[in-house]
Amino acid sequence: MSEIHVPHRHPTLLRLTSAAVRRELLDRVLAPAATPLLLGVFAALAIIGVIGLALRVAGGYENRVAWGYTAALLAWLFMTVHGAPLAAAGLRFVKADWRRPIVRIVELCTVGGLVTFPLFLLLLPTLPPRQGRANIWFDWPGAPGAYEAVAVLFLALTGLAMLALSARPDFAAARDAATGAARRRYAFLAGGWRGTPREWDVLRRGLVLLGALYIFALAFVQFLYPIDFGLSLIPGWISAIFPAFAMLTTLQCAAASTLIALYLWRRFGGLSDYLRLDHFWGLAKILLATSLLWFYFWWADFLTLWYGRKPPELAVLQLLVVGPYFVPFALAFLLSFVVPFGSLIWNRVRISIAGPVVVALSVLLGNFFNTVRIYVAAYSVAGMGGHALEQVPPAHPPDVIDAMIVVGVIGLIALLYTIASRVIPPVSIWEVNEGLMLRRPAHYLKGEYIVVGKPT
Amino acid sequence: MQERHVLTEREINRDLLGFSLTTPRNFWLAAIPLGLMVALMFSAVGYMIYWGIGVTGLNRPVMWGFMITNFVFWVGISHAGVMISAILRLSHAEWRRPITRAAEVLTVFALATAALFPLIHTGRPWRAIYWVFPYDFSRGIWPAVRSPLIWDPSAIFTYLTGSSLFVFVALIPDLAVARDNSVGWRRTFYGLLSLGYRGTTRQWRLQLLAGILLSALILPVFVSVHSIVSWDFGMSLVPAWHVTIFAPYFVIGAVHSGVSAVVALMVLLRWAFHLQAYLTPDHFDAIGRLLIAVGNTWFYFFWLDFFFALLAREPDEVAVWELRLFHWPYNVLFAIFLITAYFIPVPLWLFRRVRRSIPLMLLTSISVNIGMWLERFLIIIPGLQWKQPLTFNWFGYRPSIVEIILVTGSFALVAFGVLMFSKFFPIIPLFDIKEGQKLRHDLRIGHRQVPGVIRE
Repeated sequence: MSEIHVPHRHPTLLRLTSAAVRRELLDRVLAPAATPLLLGVFAALAIIGVIGLALRVAGGYENRVAWGYTAALLAWLFMTVHGAPLAAAGLRFVKADWRRPIVRIVELCTVGGLVTFPLFLLLLPTLPPRQGRANIWFDWPGAPGAYEAVAVLFLALTGLAMLALSARPDFAAARDAATGAARRRYAFLAGGWRGTPREWDVLRRGLVLLGALYIFALAFVQFLYPIDFGLSLIPGWISAIFPAFAMLTTLQCAAASTLIALYLWRRFGGLSDYLRLDHFWGLAKILLATSLLWFYFWWADFLTLWYGRKPPELAVLQLLVVGPYFVPFALAFLLSFVVPFGSLIWNRVRISIAGPVVVALSVLLGNFFNTVRIYVAAYSVAGMGGHALEQVPPAHPPDVIDAMIVVGVIGLIALLYTIASRVIPPVSIWEVNEGLMLRRPAHYLKGEYIVVGKPT
Repeated sequence: MQERHVLTEREINRDLLGFSLTTPRNFWLAAIPLGLMVALMFSAVGYMIYWGIGVTGLNRPVMWGFMITNFVFWVGISHAGVMISAILRLSHAEWRRPITRAAEVLTVFALATAALFPLIHTGRPWRAIYWVFPYDFSRGIWPAVRSPLIWDPSAIFTYLTGSSLFVFVALIPDLAVARDNSVGWRRTFYGLLSLGYRGTTRQWRLQLLAGILLSALILPVFVSVHSIVSWDFGMSLVPAWHVTIFAPYFVIGAVHSGVSAVVALMVLLRWAFHLQAYLTPDHFDAIGRLLIAVGNTWFYFFWLDFFFALLAREPDEVAVWELRLFHWPYNVLFAIFLITAYFIPVPLWLFRRVRRSIPLMLLTSISVNIGMWLERFLIIIPGLQWKQPLTFNWFGYRPSIVEIILVTGSFALVAFGVLMFSKFFPIIPLFDIKEGQKLRHDLRIGHRQVPGVIRE
């Protein structure tokens, strides 16, 4: 392995060679390390989650408020698990060079679609009839269940397709390096990939197209779900900014969950050569910007309703902000805005690894509280009719089954992610090697720099 | 960036300072007609002040017409500078270099022009002093600080001050070059403005730091300005105005129109000053990509505004949208608005050949601004014109010739301002271009020469 001196903050993998990258990353999938404890813990959590869901279903759908935390959890999973791959799609669009080692780590999150889709199907019966409440479906047959299910399924499938397509050259590399059953498995997954110019062209265009479709699908789901499962359940709550706010929190959580995933891979997954300070710094900037926008969107919403002084709108503020859900709101405000803004504004925190990761944890927690105050509140409203909330319901605390579902579903997704990362290299070999080809060390005046090639 | 011309410092100085240090004949060909149009505009203002606001088409219930539409439009255009300059500077986008100054200058003149219109619209501009001082000193009657109409001038003047400072700070190194390359009164003039700049390491560092700080500080001001303009409408209870999405919708609309205006300005500057070596198709390609993202986000917010009016199904709100969509002349204007602001330009920008075609980029950018002017018109006038039970008399709105002259004249005023600025100061930043030339570094990869940039 050729070594040159590179300062820690350089956006570089220059200390690695293409052959070393290929060998190291293929070893991870061809001879994966045994991790029985980790898989065992995740499997145990997954079983707890499945039991929790079974108990909740056995309890029936009549008591809708009992499903509030599950609805909030699904909203949070859309923001985090489905949000993370946005980092891959978005950074590929803007051709950010530093994306290369991180895209696969976030694309692997798309396996979460195997959990969110069934969870969504379980939640569908909790929706009250659309007649008598503000709804977006007018009198379409099958609405809203059929259309929303198709949208969520499309999101899950697009994500998985993006993962499969981007991994194809790496599957081919694994096929060429493996023998026996592994060779046959990777030959099947690679689908006859030979690396011809045409195949590369199709791959690049396909990734751009699937990335665009993924963003569109996620924006669409984040339009449908917050309206049908949140806003339309609270009489008098008409806020056009709400789906945009949901998408913004998705971007914020995308950056936060990517940071957490990068940290875990760097700390426990042996990827410290690939995941460097630049990645944390770059994501910290996005986190800071989205945290400021979090406040901006919330403020635009709050101010318009508060200033208007319309009784139905004030009742909504009473429910969601200052009344029974004040504590989750205050925690959401603190953890999603105050903490990231107050800390990431400082260079010493932003340009570090630990700082952005701690803030990312805060943001994920804050947004969880935010979904709780919206969805649990929405599920606790009794009457659907009318133009105004006549009575503000009391707060609904979580029970043991809610805790089982939350912990278990997260455990199940972690289990699937871990298994997938033992089959698919967690770092995209071809993208990292492409990046190595496009960079050279250079000296300018008294400094040492990296020249990054920018082909169109 | 594929097309990069190698330029010496002498060539850059000659090309970019030439227009400021000499007066070619085509300067007068542009300045005289624009000056006459500006004179006509101020004559119309004088006429209106003398005869009163009755010479406009304003009448009950439409008391905000062309002038307020134009005010919102020019505030929107003013968002170009910060979007292009501050955001691209902070994100180290290489392609920003030749276009930042033009965008910043457009911001200053657009904002100054925008600020004129509410003043003119008062009918008695000298009474605008009441916005700052008490109506009646002895009784201490102050303006209502809780009114968005008070927030508005505060935000605009903060933004105008910040933008002017932004332009000036970035101009200092170029003023020093102009000083060193001129004689006589010009040398004195540039010498005074360059504040003794000599290009020492400390001065460069301070200049760089000031640029970054101003970029970061002006971003919240940039967002707040158009948000507050939107709250002039959103804080009221006028149907179709009291909408929570208005603040981000106005801001993204402003960026859509502002960046498009920068494209048009770039084309005109390229043609007028022979800047083909500086403003290449690559720059138009990059800005076209940015516009795709901005245009689609704008359309999404527009869709939310429209959709939530249907979701609420409040009769007054639906009535305003019916007026916009189905009643002459708003229905035709609405169709033109959507086609020109979105359906023509954004799909066209998806094609690389269009983004790299300078005439097509000019046409699409003008198309966007026709649409965006109409958007503001369609937000304001139908919102006021809907027939409500308490309206005691009710007339339609038909703009008078005075208002048409004012609107046309405002375009001439901005163009005249930019032209006069470029007569005295370099409209393309010399130091930024020189820095870009220093940082360029081509890589040879296989048989291809790939342009690269030095990254720290």
